[in-house]
Order: sequence, then structure tokens, then C-alpha cells
Amino acid sequence: MSDKQSNGYKGMFFTWLVMTAAGVVISLYAPARLMPTSMSDNMHLTILTMVIFSVSAAPVAALVYTVALHALRHWVHRGEGVPAAAKPVRENGVVVTSWVLGSTILTIFLLVWGLGALAVDNGGNGKNPLVVNVTGQQWLWTFSYPGTNVSSPTLELPEGRTVDFHIRALDVTHGFWISNMGVQVDANAGTTTEIHTTPNALGTFDIRCTQFCGLNHAFMVTTGTVVTPAQFQQWLTSQSAKA
Amino acid sequence: MKKSSAYGAALLSVLLGGGALAAGGYALASATPHEQALDCKITSPGNCSITISSYPDSAAGEHGKSGGAHPDWVSYSNDNLVVPANTTVHMTIDQYDSGGALNNSFFSHVWINGAHGTATYQIPQTTGSVTKYGAPQTLSGWNTNDIGHTFTLRGIPGSGTNLFVSIPLPADPATNSVTVGDTTYSSPVIVQFSFKTGSKGVYDWNCEFPCGGSREGQFGYAMSSFGYMSGAMTVQ
Repeated sequence: MSDKQSNGYKGMFFTWLVMTAAGVVISLYAPARLMPTSMSDNMHLTILTMVIFSVSAAPVAALVYTVALHALRHWVHRGEGVPAAAKPVRENGVVVTSWVLGSTILTIFLLVWGLGALAVDNGGNGKNPLVVNVTGQQWLWTFSYPGTNVSSPTLELPEGRTVDFHIRALDVTHGFWISNMGVQVDANAGTTTEIHTTPNALGTFDIRCTQFCGLNHAFMVTTGTVVTPAQFQQWLTSQSAKA
Repeated sequence: MKKSSAYGAALLSVLLGGGALAAGGYALASATPHEQALDCKITSPGNCSITISSYPDSAAGEHGKSGGAHPDWVSYSNDNLVVPANTTVHMTIDQYDSGGALNNSFFSHVWINGAHGTATYQIPQTTGSVTKYGAPQTLSGWNTNDIGHTFTLRGIPGSGTNLFVSIPLPADPATNSVTVGDTTYSSPVIVQFSFKTGSKGVYDWNCEFPCGGSREGQFGYAMSSFGYMSGAMTVQ
């Protein structure tokens, strides 16, 4: 290997190192700030997964950008005619082994983490869950609370109590998405889908449809509120009296 | 080509392309699919009134006497309502259409500004050739299986005021006929209600009675096209 080549690879390694460091820093700070504020354990896990996956992807992305930059800057033929072919990368044992091994380890890690997160998400739904029937139809969400006569165009939830959403659609497929709670599942006609979460922060949140469902899909959005258990009981009582 | 000229040409191309995209985006954003605006008439400070109708076809509304492209589609008379901000809107809907069953009983109840509320209704009563309306009756809900249409207005989260309004319009009992424009219908059911507007914005409303036919849930055709069973309400 010539000195020029050696310096080139050192430069690439340094560029990769700097880009990886920048990618890791961005991955640690950006997702939590760009994603909706967490209001449940599901959302906390979603944000953590995004951070872990972004950090894991940082060195790979940095390698791609480094090679692209280096190619644009140094691997340009400015002479006449077609240059002689370089030695194929597939014949470089170190590169091929590193690439296959690195990709395998990374993929297995992402798979194990993803399955683990999914298992946590689908885990036990807690004691005494609150069941909320969610109905999606063009182009509104409505919510009813079994055991009461309460139904509402907005969603009211008590803090700290597991909520079982029973989701269905009356016409086409809709997507039930509470961005702050990491809850997103399709609402299908003719079947009821269940998903659960436990709100752990007071406040309001938006509920949107994530499946293009026709003319007014963009307006199929409503609000929800997490209140204290006492406030929730008061709300149920007041709504029940009005119904 | 000199290097500086090449850079200049590249920059110009980017600027022209960006300009064309911006102009196209602005034109699309400014375009409205809705018909001529119907203004809410100010009746006193903080109050205005507006009247629309729901028809069993498209021959008496904004599509003209011919009924436009789809004369047999059910329609509201106007799809572009303009109301003032922070004002109580007194709305009247003349409902000329027959009815049927809702697919969600939620919409059989009256909702005003996000809460259970009341409206009034008057059903036409005929004696021979004479049609009379009695005093307005309170409407808090209606038989789920006898709904003509609904007027359902959605709020926008974060807009300050809960604008959600949903009014079940009782099915027209098909009494003596009246003429609207060149078209004859049975005398309408009259429904009146009031709600308060909040901040400025464009809000969206539609009918939640499955009256469109065609697709799943009967929400196709007139339900899925601008200018029939849905519209905009501009609060300004």
C-alpha cells in the first residue's frame, strides 16, 4: 500500500469517525425532541427504540456518506480514455467479512430488540382495565364506555389506569393513532381489534386517522384528555346525566 | 463552457425549478373546491343567522336547475358557509328528504359545541291541501331509524373553541308538496339550532347519515364528492 493510499484510508477513517460521532449525538437528542411528548409507557418505549435504532444506524450511515464523499473527491478519473478497472471489492476478504459480520450482528440486535419491545407492548393489560369502544367512520371518531350510557366525540382517560381500546370501523379501513401514547392500529370493518395502553401523564393529545379513508380524511382528527381518576369519574357522571 | 458559467446555469435552473414548484403549490393552496359563499347575516351584535336546505336531489341547490353532473344525488343547498368568529350562529335547516337508519346511533343525538345540547324542530302537518307547522318542539335526539340527514361540523384540535356540532335531521314525512325553484318537494321539516364560533379558520362539515350509496357504508358518490353532502365553514 502506497503512502498516498494509506493517507487516503486514514482520512476516510477520520471522516467516518467524525460523522459517526455526529450521528450518535443527533440520534441521542433529536428523536425525543422531534417526536410527540410521551404520555404512556408504550410511547416511552417507542422513543427509546427510535433512539437505539438511530444510534445503531449512525456508523452505517456514516460509512455510506464517507465513501460517497471520498469517491466524489478522490475517485474521479480526469484523464483521457477509460481507466483500468480496480480490484473488485468482492475479492477483498477483510472488507467482505467485516461487512457480512457487521450486518449480521446489527440485524440480529435490531430483531431481538424489536421482538422484545413488541412483547412488552403486547404484555399484560393490567388489573381492572377501562374498556373504551372506539368507532371509526367517514370521517369521525366516536368513543363509548361500556357499562355506561356515555358516548363522546372526544376521548377522556384516567391517569394510571390501563385502557383497553376495542376498535372497529363501520365503513372503510381507518387508522386509530394516538401519537402521544404510541398507539396506532387499523380500525377494520367487520372485526374488532384490541390494543391497550396506560396513560401516565396528565394533559391533552390528538387522535388522528392514519389510513387514507376518503374525501375528508384530513379532517378525521379529534382530541383526548388524560385527567385524574377522580376527574374522570366526575366527567363520566356528568356525561351520563346529559345523555 | 467555463466553470463559472456552468455554476451560474445550475443555480438558475435550481431557482427556476424552485420558483415553479412554489407557484404551483401556492395555486393549489389557494384553490377551493367549493361553490359561492353563503354568508351568515348579522342580526344583532354577536349574533347571525343562516339557512340551508337538504334535498333528495341536486335540482334546487347550487348545482342549478339542471342538477349539474349528478342531478339524482342528494345535496345540501350550499357547501360554502361563511360565519363571523366569536359569534352565536343561529342556523335553520329545511329538510326535504326522506330517511332511514343511521349506522351509528351516536349521530341521533344533538351535539352543540362538543356537548349534548338541544335544537328545535317543526314537522309539517297537513289537513287536506293545507300544510301547517305547529310551535317548535325541543329536539335532543331522534329515532335512529328515521333520520333524513345530519349536519355534522367538526372542530379542529387546538383551535380554542370546541366547535363540534351534530344535528339529526328528522326524515320528511312526505306531506303536501311545495315548489323550490322549478322543483317540487314535500313540505320540509324545519330544524333550528344555535352554536358559538371561536377563532378564525376553515372547518369542515358533512352528513353522517349513509346517503351516498355505492361503497362500503353507503358513503360513496354524494357523500364522497365536494358540493353535495359535505362542505366548508369559514369562520372569519
